[in-house]
Amino acid sequence: MPGIDECLLEVMRLPGARGASVVDWTSGLALGTIGDSPNGDHEATAAETAEVARMTAEQPAFARLGAEGERTAEPPSTPVEDVIVTTHDGYHMLRFVETAFDSSVFLHLWMDRSAGNLALARRRLGELAERLVLA
Amino acid sequence: MSAIAADPDAPATDRLPVLSPMLQRLAAERATGALMRDRGTLYLADGQVVHAESPATPGIDVLLTTGGTLRHEGWWDAVAQAGAGRRVGRYLVDSGHVPGGALELCHLGALYDAAFFALAPTGTPARFRYGVAHWIGPVRPVPVAAVERETLRRREFLDRIWPDPACDSAPLLRTAHGPDAPVPARQRRLLELVDGVRTASDIAQALGRSAFHILVDLRRLAAAGLVAAVRAQPLPAAATPRRIPLPEVTADPDIALLRRLRDALEAL
Repeated sequence: MPGIDECLLEVMRLPGARGASVVDWTSGLALGTIGDSPNGDHEATAAETAEVARMTAEQPAFARLGAEGERTAEPPSTPVEDVIVTTHDGYHMLRFVETAFDSSVFLHLWMDRSAGNLALARRRLGELAERLVLA
Repeated sequence: MSAIAADPDAPATDRLPVLSPMLQRLAAERATGALMRDRGTLYLADGQVVHAESPATPGIDVLLTTGGTLRHEGWWDAVAQAGAGRRVGRYLVDSGHVPGGALELCHLGALYDAAFFALAPTGTPARFRYGVAHWIGPVRPVPVAAVERETLRRREFLDRIWPDPACDSAPLLRTAHGPDAPVPARQRRLLELVDGVRTASDIAQALGRSAFHILVDLRRLAAAGLVAAVRAQPLPAAATPRRIPLPEVTADPDIALLRRLRDALEAL
């Protein structure tokens, strides 16, 4: 039954993984971190990526709306599954974690661009995000 | 971690970002027990923060049961089985009531949430009871320095969104403005509970959501002009007989009402 650390260890087994974290996007708090972060400061990175995650999660353009623009009955915290940012030497993947209790958590994976496999990482991160909160 | 500016609200003698000298001392001596402050309690084990509680924030039981992660029976079963042994957290996971990762996420959220309020500036001296352990038991201990750093960061974060703390503790009102931009779903659910009576803490309890998250959304709503604090708090008459709740702004002063008020005040 995995916890945050086990989940992050699994994430780091992906090819090209350089660092990963579990972040709360409302507050910008890093709940768990592993490996490196782009600026050497996981806490600062968490606060910065949280802002991107929040804006994506709450962006009306990505919202799934029901009839008359009203929200559907019991929506997940965001209709967005993930965000992928490509830089000249790496990939950043933010994967939203859906929990039964109220939360605003995402997994952040930082990957080397040449060693990383985007499709594999995206599928695996989705599985791990689910396993993190499932028995 | 970059340097954090001192809290502008802190007394002049306390310019360094030290939230609680006592807490730092307890961390240094690897103390175990409960640090009771004005607005909440931090539980330490071996100098690390293992849990926190505040009357301003929903407890982990509320967070877990509101969303349906855990049914009330499941919670009470865990408390009955493992409460006395101070291992409720472990029991919830081992018995299959709550997945391990979910418990860690929820518990950390509750810990930082309560610590933010527990470490709020106060004039009341703190007390420490050595040896006290919380019934939730070990989940994921956090260093004192991390909790202090995060609490300071959160204060700054709130002020960057909207620098007026009025909405943090007062009853809240919806303003007459219509939203200029679509309100995100999470803020909309919060806004539905703003009724002129509920405070941020009440809303957090009702939604089973971290109180700090509510403050963040409230500051955004206040910045958008959608929510305001009720200035005159309707306090119990016996507690402060001089305070009478008044509407904050009247567009058109009603002379007769003002006369009646004056008479009532004089009659006190």
